[in-house]
Amino acid sequence: MAVVVCLALLSACTPGRTANEGPRREITDDAGRRVSIPVKVDRVISLAPNLTEIVFAVGAGDRLVGRTSYCDYPPEAKKIPAVGDTIHPNLEPIIALKPQVVLVSTASQLEVFTQQLKGQNIAVFVTDPHDLEGVFRSIEQIGEIVGEKDKANQLVQTLQERTSAVQQAVKYEPLVKVFYQASGEPLYTAGRDSFVTDLIRRAGGASVTADVPGAWPKFSNESALAARPEAIILPTGGSMGAANSNVAEALRQSPAVLQGHVYKINDDHLARPGPRLVDGLEEIARALHPDAFAR
Amino acid sequence: MNRVTLRKTIVACAAMAAALLIVIVLMSLLGSEPLPVRASLCALASFGTSACGLTQDQFDILFQIRLPRILLAAAVGGSLATAGAGYQALLRNPLAEPYLLGISNGAAVGTMIALVFFGAIEWTRPILAFSGALLATLAVYRLARGRAGATPERLILAGVIVTTFLSSVIVFVTVLMDATRIRSFTFWLLGDLSGTSKALLPLTIVITIAGAVALTLHARSLNLLMLGERDAFDLGVEVGRVRIVVFLVASLLVGSSVAASGSVGYVGLVVPHLARLSLGSDNRISIPAAALGGALFVIVADTVARTVIAPRELPVGAITALIGAPLFIYLLRRA
Repeated sequence: MAVVVCLALLSACTPGRTANEGPRREITDDAGRRVSIPVKVDRVISLAPNLTEIVFAVGAGDRLVGRTSYCDYPPEAKKIPAVGDTIHPNLEPIIALKPQVVLVSTASQLEVFTQQLKGQNIAVFVTDPHDLEGVFRSIEQIGEIVGEKDKANQLVQTLQERTSAVQQAVKYEPLVKVFYQASGEPLYTAGRDSFVTDLIRRAGGASVTADVPGAWPKFSNESALAARPEAIILPTGGSMGAANSNVAEALRQSPAVLQGHVYKINDDHLARPGPRLVDGLEEIARALHPDAFAR
Repeated sequence: MNRVTLRKTIVACAAMAAALLIVIVLMSLLGSEPLPVRASLCALASFGTSACGLTQDQFDILFQIRLPRILLAAAVGGSLATAGAGYQALLRNPLAEPYLLGISNGAAVGTMIALVFFGAIEWTRPILAFSGALLATLAVYRLARGRAGATPERLILAGVIVTTFLSSVIVFVTVLMDATRIRSFTFWLLGDLSGTSKALLPLTIVITIAGAVALTLHARSLNLLMLGERDAFDLGVEVGRVRIVVFLVASLLVGSSVAASGSVGYVGLVVPHLARLSLGSDNRISIPAAALGGALFVIVADTVARTVIAPRELPVGAITALIGAPLFIYLLRRA
């Protein structure tokens, strides 16, 4: 009897979300899912800082109804209600905000979450870029979702031009062996599947961990030492604060440290696969090849 | 100690110490970067006074990275196994183990507090870890002691309660911490030796040796305690004092090893058990044997952790748990 009552109550809650009715279209996301999305989207929730930045950059900040507590850029984003953080999004406020689409970064721990939102007729769109092209694709996809296709294309074109300008500038520069220290203790770096590895390549560097499987592998101290990097990039500052501002002990005698080629770059420009990743690209390139930009 | 036991202890410990030395040398030849064997052996034999043709990088890999990490593995393994042997003798329960009783978690909470509030001051970590371990020990002990004394089931149950409670404290703290530090913490919580701190290494080694000696000196009392607290008391054991000594020493051992490496699980379970299995349950032999065996076990486990998917690494705790958990199930079924 009790079970019947419960079921009746549950089913009574399901219908009646007018915002999500009407014509829909299908867009394929980075998890390879065909996501059905209303043609006109005016309520979006972003569950990652890079996605919030993209939504604002394509001019749809006014349609963002929820963000995570990590989403601090652009400053206007902070006025939008937070629904938990990227690692622990809070389902109840998400549902209460009645979004049509929830934007998610990477497919981890998504199964249950997606199912629950699907039950509420809320689309979940997954982004998972592994290189700069993938980030551009995210921008175009999100532009398409929020109905700002032209603006998104324009933005991507500008970013592509800036990227080509960097690559052109460093084209004839000697490759610099780079170690990317995502964290010093324990030692983490950017691996084969990370967009940072692509960034370093485009900036005229050769990441010594470019072939290591995974996006953010934990890396052997002795292999880092043996790699003898000529430059070390420390993503730090920004929302990281003072974290990761020291070179790992194993690298203290590396050519990079001895020659003073340790470059601290705003973590928000390197760890967030959004429009500002191109800022990060320019900063890496200028650090590795100052002469190429002095001319 | 009668002469036969003394001789047996000395022979067993000498054999294991020799094995430990050999394993330290052999495992320092293995790593993600290949080193020339002959030159490395020559440099090790000279205690680092001669490079024996190793390049500067190779020399640094051997003496600045590998050897300190192996010595830390030895200290952590020795500490945890000694603490486990101590708890098992005192509580008369073969399943008593720092990790399973929540004592490692107590030390982990202490270390986290040190990291969050006094991040830059390294020596606060072992002190707060020790305090956390001691508090967790006392909590488990109080919870486990019913009117009928501490039955094995009650003890494990108390351990589960303390472990899960402290786990939720850890989760709570990680949620409050910023995102960038969480990942390194989750790795560290599983037990990880890659962040070997040169500043804490000597302290950890000294505590391990001192703790193993202290518990070995109380081994006779612990042997009598295995008959039951009342009988031990009648035989002249100062039960209360021995209990305090074991709790303090074991908490110190667990605290210093967790502060250095996170919670490496199951060492305190597997190693003392194997020591008793092969050398008998006389604590005068099994405690020092557990100390040396723990060092051997964690050195080998960590060598697997740092080489098996090189140049990437696994946390050593994953390897020790992989071996320890099945053995725990086996022991539970036999108990």
